[in-house]
Amino acid sequence: MKLWNRYSGLILPVLVVAALAVWPVITGKPANRESAFTILKAVALASSLNILLGYTGYVSFGHIVFYGFGGYVGIFLLTEKGWSLWTAILAGGAASGILAFLLGSAILRLRGAYFALATIGVNEAMRAFINNFELFGGPTGITLNFSVYRDFGGAAHALQTSFYIGAGLALLALLLSYIVRTSKFGLGLLAIRENEDAAEVMGVVAPRAKTWAYVLSAIIPGMVGVLFFFKNGNVEPHDAFPLHASIELLVMVMLGGQGTVLGPILGAFAYQGMRGYLVTSPIFKDIQLSVSGALLLMIVLFIPAGAIGWLRHRVPPLRRVLA
Amino acid sequence: MKRSLFSIFTVLVLMGLILSACGPGATEAPAPVEPAAPAATEAPVEEQPAATEAPAMVEKTVVIGFTSSLTGSQEVSSKRQVNGLNLWMQQVNDAGGIKLSDGTVVKFAAQTYDDESNKERVQELYTRLITEDNADFLISPYSSGLTAAASIIAEQNGKIMITAGAAEDDAYKTGNTSLFQLYTPGSLYLISTVDMLKTLDPEAKVAIVHENDKFSTAVVEGLKPYLESHGFETVLEEGYASDTADFGPVINKIVESGATVLLGGGHYPDGSTFARQLYERKAGLKFVSLLVAPADSKFPELGDAALGVATSSQWELVATHTPEEAAVLGKEWYGPTGEDFAAAYEAMTGDKPTYHVAGGYTAGLVLQKAIEDADSIDPEKVKAALEAMDIFTFYGGIKFDTSPEAHGLQVSHQMVVAQWQKNDAGELVRQVIWPADVATADPLYPIPAPQ
Repeated sequence: MKLWNRYSGLILPVLVVAALAVWPVITGKPANRESAFTILKAVALASSLNILLGYTGYVSFGHIVFYGFGGYVGIFLLTEKGWSLWTAILAGGAASGILAFLLGSAILRLRGAYFALATIGVNEAMRAFINNFELFGGPTGITLNFSVYRDFGGAAHALQTSFYIGAGLALLALLLSYIVRTSKFGLGLLAIRENEDAAEVMGVVAPRAKTWAYVLSAIIPGMVGVLFFFKNGNVEPHDAFPLHASIELLVMVMLGGQGTVLGPILGAFAYQGMRGYLVTSPIFKDIQLSVSGALLLMIVLFIPAGAIGWLRHRVPPLRRVLA
Repeated sequence: MKRSLFSIFTVLVLMGLILSACGPGATEAPAPVEPAAPAATEAPVEEQPAATEAPAMVEKTVVIGFTSSLTGSQEVSSKRQVNGLNLWMQQVNDAGGIKLSDGTVVKFAAQTYDDESNKERVQELYTRLITEDNADFLISPYSSGLTAAASIIAEQNGKIMITAGAAEDDAYKTGNTSLFQLYTPGSLYLISTVDMLKTLDPEAKVAIVHENDKFSTAVVEGLKPYLESHGFETVLEEGYASDTADFGPVINKIVESGATVLLGGGHYPDGSTFARQLYERKAGLKFVSLLVAPADSKFPELGDAALGVATSSQWELVATHTPEEAAVLGKEWYGPTGEDFAAAYEAMTGDKPTYHVAGGYTAGLVLQKAIEDADSIDPEKVKAALEAMDIFTFYGGIKFDTSPEAHGLQVSHQMVVAQWQKNDAGELVRQVIWPADVATADPLYPIPAPQ
């Protein structure tokens, strides 16, 4: 019981991700595996964004740049340099982290709307750069030869392996989110979110803390990018840096409840689960975009604080559990 | 309380409006054909009395799975491709299906989802098509990028995927053995156009301006060495983003380069905008050839801006392939004539077929032929039949590369050059201007200067 009380904020998110990972294994259905992969990918990306958006209070409209850049670096190393998938994933994460450090040092001096606008510019600039970067294939991108999958026993096993790695990355993202949330460093971030100037007066070194928060929020997306493009078989600029995906991530974080560990996971699950259901539903599949838009509108109208915020407000005993 | 009720009421009204607006038009489901459509198969339609005398037949419904872009940038061409496939399916089912020697009658049903012109869910949807909807055969999504992602799922599950609208060469050079391409590969798209220019104006200065995507770049990569080998000077090469809406800076560069001929484009949204702005800015080019957009029947909506714009086309009704052509080439003819296909399509949709429609229809036709040749729906036997296929249809030649290096790449189909010209009544019509032996009109060269 003591353990539960102490770690309930971690146990619940781990249980949700574990359930998602086990669901396709229990049902034995590859279609469920693919649906779960899409959700787990969103969980990893939304949880990472939450470190910047939820804990630090900085809205990034271009966070997908780390997913695309890391993905490109990893796939390049995999196809052109013969690196293994594992090392390529680590390299993709490291590349995104370094990019975030360099970018953060410059654009995190901006606040509010100015920072948000700068992140859009970064994403578009990176897309334009990759489009003209011949080493990464320019506009046609990089296509994987099927021989890459032989190490995994063929395409079928490679997709299965990708799923398990995806589940691992989602778990890693939520662990990182939890560790940041419960650490002294995380408290500093929360202080920056509430009032940056006051936080600095209280001893928080805001520029350094923000930069590290940006770096931590970029590493997992870079790793996820490598995995997704490996699974997809090719990477192109417009798939790697889709601005709409950044906005979808913001929706997921806010839907579940920003600034909490469980919130982005629930948001990602609800958003991608709903989209996945609607796109394959015999009733809604032809009007799925309209229906999902209308549903989101209703959610924003009636529970603007997100699912976790609503639950914490309505059911006070849950406040200890829903960190 | 009043505020909450008002909010709920507003949302419900909004949802109602959205649903009613999207409901009927979103899918563009083809209307049923009133008169009996001409049979796609050459097998005679079994009459009622004969059916009662024949031994008991087992009917098997084969599920064809595919995603289509009901929304997003590929919407226009993707919907036409699906319409073509639906027409074929309707015809073959109305004709009684395919009869195999073991008494099985094969009929077809489609299972499809919206991929939103977006790669994110393509693998998820194709996995669902195969494992949940039990699709027996697959048709590719529209566009090379989406097909590349879907092809991995096809290969993983050993499912045959016939590709229409996936011209880029690379997808067939990955070691995949499940893809079979109908379109002339992207690297050969503009070869006929260069051959024509060599005859019309060997001194032409060429500007290459294209969409920065997989397909258009592959076309340009094939074009550049061919232009060079024919002695043409390329004075400008420029790529533009897929969502470009303002071509002003690009057009300025074209004018400054001194180019007399423009080759390039991409897909429908950007291509039609580019053509309109070229006309409005009076770019003064002698010849303009754009990919995909001018091949669509909506293109004349641009009015005079469409006049003279040419395109490389996979198929044109006015120069449709014929049984006589097949006989001269010594190839087996299969399927309906182009005129019969076009009449059935017009009866179904009220629209004239484009090459995207013909591609979708031929995807079904090729599958039908492979099942007939294999006398089975067993995937391995059908695959063997596809690999051995060397036929001629109204759409043109169909033969696939069987080498491990480029398995499934189309090696027989030829393209034509089509151009929007005015007929005697002053209406815009698409004429075939090259190759000369199938041309229906002389090239409009130079194209008239804008008023």
